[in-house]
Amino acid sequence: MARIGVFVCHCGENIGRTVDCTKVAEALKNHPGVVESVDYKYMCSDPGQALIKQSIAEKNLTGVVVAACSPHMHEKTFRRAAFGGGLNPFLCEMANVREHCSWIHEDKEKATEKAIAIGRTIVEKVKRNVPLETIRIPVTKRALVIGGGIAGIQAALDLADGGAEVILVEKEPSIGGHMSQLSETFPTLDCSQCILTPRMVEVYQHPNIKLYSYSELESLEGYIGNFKATIRKKARSVNEELCNGCGACTQVCIQKKIPSEFDAGLGKRTAIYVPFPQAVPNIPVIDRKNCARFKAKAKGILKEACGKCAEACLKGAVDFDQEDRFVTEEVGAVVVATGYQLYTIGKDQPEGLQGYGEYGYGTIPDVIDGLQFERLASASGPTGGQILRPSDGKPPKTIVFLQCIGSRDPQKGIEYCSKICCMYVAKHTMLYKHKVHGGKAVVFYMDIRAAGKGYEEFSRRAIEEDGAIYIRGRVSRMYRDGQTIKVQGFDTLAGEPVEIDADMVVLATAMRPQPGIETLAQKLSVSYDRHGFINEAHPKLRPVETNTAGIFVAGACQSPRDIPDAVAMASATAAKVLGLFSKDQLEREPTVAKVNQDLCAGCFSCEHVCPYGAVEHKEIRDRKGVLLKIVAEVNGGVCQGCGTCQATCPSKSVELQGFTDEQIYSEINALAGCVE
Amino acid sequence: MQALKDLARTLLEKGEVAVILGWEEGPHGARPAFITSPEDTGRLIFDARCVQNLATYLNPRRTNIKALGKPALCVKGCDARAIAGLLRESQIKREDVVLIGVRCSGVGIEATGPAQVDAETLAPRCVGCDATEPPLADHKVGEARPLPQGKGWDARIAELEAMTAAQRWAFWQAEFEKCTRCNACRQVCPMCFCEQCVQDKTRPQWIESSPHPRGNTAWHFTRALHQAGRCSVCGECERACPAGIPLMLLNRKVAQTMERRFGYRPTADPAVPCPVGAFRQDDTQEFIR
Amino acid sequence: MQEKSKSDGAFEPKLTAFVCNWCTYTGADLAGTSRLQMATNVRIIRLPCTGRIDPLFILKAFERGADGVIVSGCHPADCHYTSGNYHARRRFAVFNDLMEFVGIDPGRLTFSWVSASEGAKWRDVVNEATSKVKALGPFTTYPNAGLALGEVAHASA
Repeated sequence: MARIGVFVCHCGENIGRTVDCTKVAEALKNHPGVVESVDYKYMCSDPGQALIKQSIAEKNLTGVVVAACSPHMHEKTFRRAAFGGGLNPFLCEMANVREHCSWIHEDKEKATEKAIAIGRTIVEKVKRNVPLETIRIPVTKRALVIGGGIAGIQAALDLADGGAEVILVEKEPSIGGHMSQLSETFPTLDCSQCILTPRMVEVYQHPNIKLYSYSELESLEGYIGNFKATIRKKARSVNEELCNGCGACTQVCIQKKIPSEFDAGLGKRTAIYVPFPQAVPNIPVIDRKNCARFKAKAKGILKEACGKCAEACLKGAVDFDQEDRFVTEEVGAVVVATGYQLYTIGKDQPEGLQGYGEYGYGTIPDVIDGLQFERLASASGPTGGQILRPSDGKPPKTIVFLQCIGSRDPQKGIEYCSKICCMYVAKHTMLYKHKVHGGKAVVFYMDIRAAGKGYEEFSRRAIEEDGAIYIRGRVSRMYRDGQTIKVQGFDTLAGEPVEIDADMVVLATAMRPQPGIETLAQKLSVSYDRHGFINEAHPKLRPVETNTAGIFVAGACQSPRDIPDAVAMASATAAKVLGLFSKDQLEREPTVAKVNQDLCAGCFSCEHVCPYGAVEHKEIRDRKGVLLKIVAEVNGGVCQGCGTCQATCPSKSVELQGFTDEQIYSEINALAGCVE
Repeated sequence: MQALKDLARTLLEKGEVAVILGWEEGPHGARPAFITSPEDTGRLIFDARCVQNLATYLNPRRTNIKALGKPALCVKGCDARAIAGLLRESQIKREDVVLIGVRCSGVGIEATGPAQVDAETLAPRCVGCDATEPPLADHKVGEARPLPQGKGWDARIAELEAMTAAQRWAFWQAEFEKCTRCNACRQVCPMCFCEQCVQDKTRPQWIESSPHPRGNTAWHFTRALHQAGRCSVCGECERACPAGIPLMLLNRKVAQTMERRFGYRPTADPAVPCPVGAFRQDDTQEFIR
Repeated sequence: MQEKSKSDGAFEPKLTAFVCNWCTYTGADLAGTSRLQMATNVRIIRLPCTGRIDPLFILKAFERGADGVIVSGCHPADCHYTSGNYHARRRFAVFNDLMEFVGIDPGRLTFSWVSASEGAKWRDVVNEATSKVKALGPFTTYPNAGLALGEVAHASA
């Protein structure tokens, strides 16, 4: 038998002015199932809450309705009070008679009538509420960080310093990411590697961090607090335990002319190589696609195959027979920090993007992108830090920099702004002018976006102190003309066309997520937008979480950003994960879906609509072990309680606790005056 | 047709299947047949009276049929769409059934006859058929013959849409009034396989079970909605209805909506996902403020 | 059923609104906080998401005497649960077309996207739906609960 207590709040004048609270309490006193109905000035106050607790004890209440403000305001307050009074908190509901009634109507008679109706509706609902217990699930206090660039490194260090064990997975042979390729960083012109490499070493030496380099995530199973990650350790062809990083192998390698990825194609490397001198780990890897021995083996000609690196190695660390191997790690949370790649202007493009035919589709020599310019400027780069033309090795007397290549261009398929280009182009002009004093730096821009700390001042410095020439307009066409590049653009402020003979052109190309991001996101069940950027849970208030519980995101894989923002985001994810790990058990609101396995027909329409992958398959067997049917089962730890499954299920075999069909039905009935 | 009988006999003799689900001559025309011994395969027929969609017998809740063993099912092209629906919704596994595709050149409205149809007698379900060459089949039998031109449901739907809302409401209330809630429509439908139909749910009772306009309206509305994107447009529900309610006008209308709004057409390709549970960022929303 | 207000003899429609907790319910809260005045005819039933809203709710609301129904939730791409509103959008597109085909006046059913910051829009939705349904009159032709459950009572006790 229902014994509901109703508490009508005046909220001072807020409700009391337009709703006759005493009349509401009186009206609900006679409602079937109500045993107590009172009104009070401030229900959320201590004495107000005490009223509830007292009533629960004295009248043996089976449910509580507080007719007051919005549940968004005080549902937690009153549920806590009910709990304090000995009643399951989920047997307490609020009737919103303030935001939805007293504040939006002036007619006291109509407002009071409506408040009574709202009260009745919630009383009817509460009569069908059932006690729910908080769901508790265990937590593995280890974190998986995918991506070893600056964001991944920062997250790993913060997590490890915070006491959590970290598994850091990086697909390249070394951690460091694109930041290790940079010459200097804006706005301080800090040497990039100088500030990065100490962090890289810290990661390598940290007792709480396990680094899997030259490895990729193969699969992820499980749910928040309880994930199982399978990692593929790709074959380096070098035994990591034995190698001491002496570099003898790279000296003797006969393949010396392979374009270096680290030097963005401008430099050369050997087949057995370490990507850069400060690589972490400092262990070489064999590029099997270009290694003479492996190429010969692929053709079936082993006896002529080279083995010079193995001969030169005093530790016997080279292992040509090494294969990819798989390891599994159990973790409680995942941080995605896979960073970015740059858009290219070539003809061959992924679906949805277009190249720049007007700039030659990338076939004009000396037309390079930002990362390539960084390698030229870098002291450890292919030209020893001298800005030289890739075509003939001569220093360029005029460099034209183009901003917004790909970015902000719906026709090319990228409508967003890549955020960092205005800043690094300014930086590039300064580096160029510092190295080539008489050089002419011209920048074609649409806008200057310099919103960070010190950024505007830095941009102005490029123009005012270092003499960069900024032209507002776009370049319509460029083509090779003898030894130079004819760049034809428009100066919109002067209102006239511009033609420049450039020795080099640097394109500020758009930032995109790494290739393969979609496959990774699908493995993690996180959503991504049409560009591949990982979706955050809420763009304003939850920027480092995804909608998949337990999976967080940091850095440029979520959207274009610079180093300080990537670092801040990474630290934020570490804070979130450490918060998750601060308890031994995770508490979840129990308003989750539950399948009635007797009624479920196993069509799994619910599985298709669940945004969280919370629906699992459960085998129902008889006592002899014969399989009767396979039905749906909701993982309460993953379900977020949207109820889409229930509206989709034709037989309503799955019910969302707290918003069951019976509860909603009773509310609809109550509005018609059909109460029982 | 002999090819069908021979194939059926071979399948049973070889032990590849334990039962053939096909059609045979009955006291009121064609009727479903369950043949378990090779000698009886001579009973199998196929002509324009074979209107029954045998896919409904694959419903795993029909445990007595399941107990007969691995079936070979005779399917017309349209029936194959229902098989695809059952596959999509995990009710059967492809390897658990052998499909005998019969080349069909149209059936009539009733199982009583005629055995051959022309433009006058062609069932509305056959109009516009793109499956005369049966899809999804392990074996195919029969001769391909051209389909006569017939009259589908779309013309009648257009007539109703040209009426005022009040006229349409009057039309449908009159139709729903005839409903006795016998549930033949549900029982014959291959896609109505729920363990407990929503109209049999009592806590709460969304759809009343007594034959009153209230429950009747809710029932037919809800069934049409639950069939959205799942109905194979086989027309069996309308054929089975003893009160002659034009149920296919509702189901075909929903199918039109699925095509117009979401580009979905009923298909026998199980790889095409059911539109229930799918969405696009640019789905139609002109009706939303 | 007609409800006589004391001031005039005019018909006041009853509308039931099924709204999602995170957007429209909060938007309605904001309308309240902003003291935006609106028609008194709408009663809100809170669901976690428009994805939870079943066409059966709407049919039952009409059966129980609602003259009009409002369904409202988060704008596409803003769903708190990522995709609930996308599924609702498809479901209700089909429902809407079928309702019209069966002869229910589309003016009785209002669908809207109202975000948590759109208090004013909620006020407009409420007022417009109320006046539209008022003009259509009481939904006496829908087979309602009058027979089986006794007289359908007014909202006033």
